[in-house]
Amino acid sequence: MRAFAASIVETVRHPLLVLDAELRVRAANKAFYAAFRVPDGQTDFALNGEGFDIPGLQDRLGQVADSGEAFEGFEVRHDFPGVGPKTLLLNARLVVSESDPSPMILLAIEDVTEKKEAEDGLRRLNDVLEDRMRERTAQLETANQEMEAFCYSVSHDLRAPLRSIDGFSRELLKSYADRLDDRGRHYLQRVRSNSQRIANLIDDLLQLSRLSQIEMKYETVDLTTLAASIVADLRQREPNRQVTVVIEPGLTARGDAGLLRVALENLLENAWKFTSKKPHATIEVGRAGHDGPSAFFIRDDGAGFDPAFAGKLFGAFQRLHHERDFPGTGIGLVTVQRVVHRHGGTIRAEGAVGNGAMFYFTLPHGDEP
Amino acid sequence: MSQKIILLIEDNPDDEELTLLAFQKCKVANEVVVARDGAEALDYLFATAAYAGRDVAALPQVCLLDLKLPKVDGLEVLRRVRADPRTRRLPVVILTSSKQDQDLLESYDLGANSYIRKPVDFERFLEAVKQLQLYWLVLNEAPGGGNP
Repeated sequence: MRAFAASIVETVRHPLLVLDAELRVRAANKAFYAAFRVPDGQTDFALNGEGFDIPGLQDRLGQVADSGEAFEGFEVRHDFPGVGPKTLLLNARLVVSESDPSPMILLAIEDVTEKKEAEDGLRRLNDVLEDRMRERTAQLETANQEMEAFCYSVSHDLRAPLRSIDGFSRELLKSYADRLDDRGRHYLQRVRSNSQRIANLIDDLLQLSRLSQIEMKYETVDLTTLAASIVADLRQREPNRQVTVVIEPGLTARGDAGLLRVALENLLENAWKFTSKKPHATIEVGRAGHDGPSAFFIRDDGAGFDPAFAGKLFGAFQRLHHERDFPGTGIGLVTVQRVVHRHGGTIRAEGAVGNGAMFYFTLPHGDEP
Repeated sequence: MSQKIILLIEDNPDDEELTLLAFQKCKVANEVVVARDGAEALDYLFATAAYAGRDVAALPQVCLLDLKLPKVDGLEVLRRVRADPRTRRLPVVILTSSKQDQDLLESYDLGANSYIRKPVDFERFLEAVKQLQLYWLVLNEAPGGGNP
């Protein structure tokens, strides 16, 4: 039986000690000698000497010897001479053999130093990452707040002087017209139309920046109805235009209704604008079947564009037409692209000079919750 | 008619001049009291400081309120007007530059009666003033103070 027990102790890969009630080592396994660099086979040394004077351990082991109460997972950290600092998990239990009535304590040692260090390292890394994330989030929040304050200020303060420029110019034109010649009146008209242009630019830029900031809310959007209501607005604005608009029934997409309205508004306003030189124009809205169920197109038979410059279409402030032909700020298609990208989609354009334009876009998040 | 006062709360002298010009062109005959910041507006409405002795019960027919004002901003003026039983029914029309959602929503939340964004195009501003006059000075029955 002794040999059986001894061979178990010898076979276990963790360091094991057998102590007597005075905490002297009566037996130890190979793993112990190897781990703690104790000369092989040495026994009968006190566990409170020889570099094993671990605070708290004597008391715990004394309790085991006195009351027979075992402990498990008692963690100690100690600097062992010749071995270095170690973190150990200790189990101890009172064992009584029939042949030897004096109680013995079995002390099992698990070296968790590396695991502990890895955990500590991971924790430190986590802390660093969390700190960095907090820092970045704070920076982002500050940037967002500054952006909001900036937009707020632009929205209020930049428009006010424009109103004055336009208002006083208009008053000059109306009440002092007799004291101005044609050229003077022409200059004032230029002043007025330019202040209006800046105002439009400000509005478009504010809309563009708002698009990137607002939180998206996914829902099923009826693009057919949306497009029809936008076209109705356009017809109301210019009731004399002859435009046939064909909108495919049952066009739906999952996306943010507000953002999609902005995108469709810009695309349809473009189609409306660039067909304005035609006595009778046609605009079509439909599903681009070959590009999948979430691909759509808007086509017009208006002025079109030179495909050589197609890449410039979606750049901010890029315009392929002269202001005097088709007025605009050059922000409309950037806005559309931003909306499509926020939906995870893509947009491209096809066209030819004098042959109309066609915009394809996808809204692929059909199954987004 | 002349006791139907319009209270214009506007800090920008150019905007003040243009608004008064628009009133003139639209033949608005009402007396216009101009307060040039939020604090002055509150002094007028609650008859304090320079306006001590004014009858608080004599509410203006309508109050045209700019939002971005020195000292006390427009939303705070609106908040205090709505919080005081003497002025809570005052018709307040926000007349401002911005159409930022935050301004629009907060104005209505605080009980603004109307929100008009001043257009850059003076022609359209005249149109807005015409409508404003027709609605708030002619059609709308004010809660009292003007015609006992």
